[in-house]
Amino acid sequence: MEKEAKNDARYSIVTYDLTKKYGDLCAVNQVNLSVGTEIFGILGPNGSGKTTTVLMLTTLLEPTQGTAEVCGYNIHTEPRKVRESISYVPQDMAVDVRLTGRENVHMFAELYGVQNPAERSEEVLRILELSDRADEYAKVYSGGMRRRLELAQALVHNPKVLFLDEPTVGLDVAARKKIWEHIKKLRNAGMTIFVTTHYMDEADKYCDRVAIIDHGTIKAIDTPENLKKIISQDVISVSVTGPYTGVDLPGVRFAFFEDESIVFYADSGDEALPQIKDALSANGVTVTAMSLRKPSLDDVFLHLVGTEEDKGPFNLSTFRNMTRRRG
Amino acid sequence: MNPILVYCRRDLIRWFRGKWGFISAMVMPAAWLLFVGLALPISFTDNYIDFVTPGILVMTILSASLAGGGLLILDRMLGFFNKFLALPPPRESILFGKILVISIRGIIQSTIILCFAFLLGAKLYTPSQLAGTYLILFIFGALLASAAASIAIYLDDHDQYAAANAMITMPLFFSSSAMMPYEQMPSWLVPVAHINPLSFAIDGIRIFQTGEIPLTQIGFLSILCVFIIGVAVHVFRKVQV
Repeated sequence: MEKEAKNDARYSIVTYDLTKKYGDLCAVNQVNLSVGTEIFGILGPNGSGKTTTVLMLTTLLEPTQGTAEVCGYNIHTEPRKVRESISYVPQDMAVDVRLTGRENVHMFAELYGVQNPAERSEEVLRILELSDRADEYAKVYSGGMRRRLELAQALVHNPKVLFLDEPTVGLDVAARKKIWEHIKKLRNAGMTIFVTTHYMDEADKYCDRVAIIDHGTIKAIDTPENLKKIISQDVISVSVTGPYTGVDLPGVRFAFFEDESIVFYADSGDEALPQIKDALSANGVTVTAMSLRKPSLDDVFLHLVGTEEDKGPFNLSTFRNMTRRRG
Repeated sequence: MNPILVYCRRDLIRWFRGKWGFISAMVMPAAWLLFVGLALPISFTDNYIDFVTPGILVMTILSASLAGGGLLILDRMLGFFNKFLALPPPRESILFGKILVISIRGIIQSTIILCFAFLLGAKLYTPSQLAGTYLILFIFGALLASAAASIAIYLDDHDQYAAANAMITMPLFFSSSAMMPYEQMPSWLVPVAHINPLSFAIDGIRIFQTGEIPLTQIGFLSILCVFIIGVAVHVFRKVQV
């Protein structure tokens, strides 16, 4: 009953208990998603099953169990129809460096069977602001330009759904912003964008909805705003020297260790700051710095996937490094 | 445009523009012809270059095909393969594109070798002998390209593939009838040379030179070719990304 309700035209991607196992390892575990015309981010650390999910949805990988529909076509029984309706840009940034920008796009236009490949190539090159340099070899393109060239290749046949695997990995700030601006324009033009990322801030800023995935299991799906409401409190981060033995204050809750700091959630942050300082000092702990902020998607992520009892502070900070390899 | 031709054109352009790969592919077989064809002290014939040219042609196709498998590995390592697999054309069009590009490369190289051999004093082929030679080289190229593609997909690693490549090429070449006729071989090598697919291609070309049509060789190579293409298509359809 639920499944039928989900299977309507508003959704371009619907998955039903999508599962992929590699031997004993369950890379993707019974994922159920419905994605409409939106920027849908799937957020998780490396190895959490994001890419595996995308590979199944793009028909490159057979699910072990469950199935999915993309643009109304079943990934198992109508893979070709699925591939005609979508584009997939993997993480690797694979453009032919010995071909010019134009040749790179033109090749894809032909492979997609576009009616007027030359015209259409010009058009997408213009949209992605590559026309000026379309006759240069892709070898001389910067990282951001190569990524835009890949987007041009992906857009040349006007797909209904665009899959992007870590679209901004390895790009500088300006190039990342530009890529996201293009992605937003596409969404506004009615395209479904399914994007994987481990950059929380980008997901927070640009995605309409976010699914948080860990160890192949979806932990939460909602808008970034609503996800942040899961932590309805302020976040206080305290740097200390000395052994932390715990504080007992009303309205203040220990959250987790983060690198060298202790993180608390507080109902009212402004009032809690001096209280925490006093309580720690009373325990013989020296406070070296304190900060107060609203919850970010990072906090939600750690709250959802990182607060299990068996995960000590060491694990959390490793986890943290894994999810924010930005330096 | 047919996707097979699009894939093929891509690799050809990359080959031409990547100058050194192209130059090396031209110079290597010419060097073989010169140093093996003219320099070895051979007593069983007074025109060894006539004898050895078919062997060099087939060896060139062998190395071109194995290089083609390398192209596939690089495509896979650099992420092109995944992009191509997510496109509408069937997976095996990637394979047929590679077979075609390898065949074209092989034919271009063969033509250069033949011209060079004629310059060095080999007896000129008649048009029908030429056609027969190219037919055999084409079938043999498709056969080896499919085999190389299957090995490439199976090994999935550039170093491993280079190792396998080196391990296959040398013994296969020297255990064939490329360098010497069966009568001149040590007796233990004769049965090996007779079942070596390279020998079938080489003998086929030599039989064309005598004016006969090597039906056995063409038949054997064609059947093997169809079989190996079948294997390669199967491997391509099953490949896990």
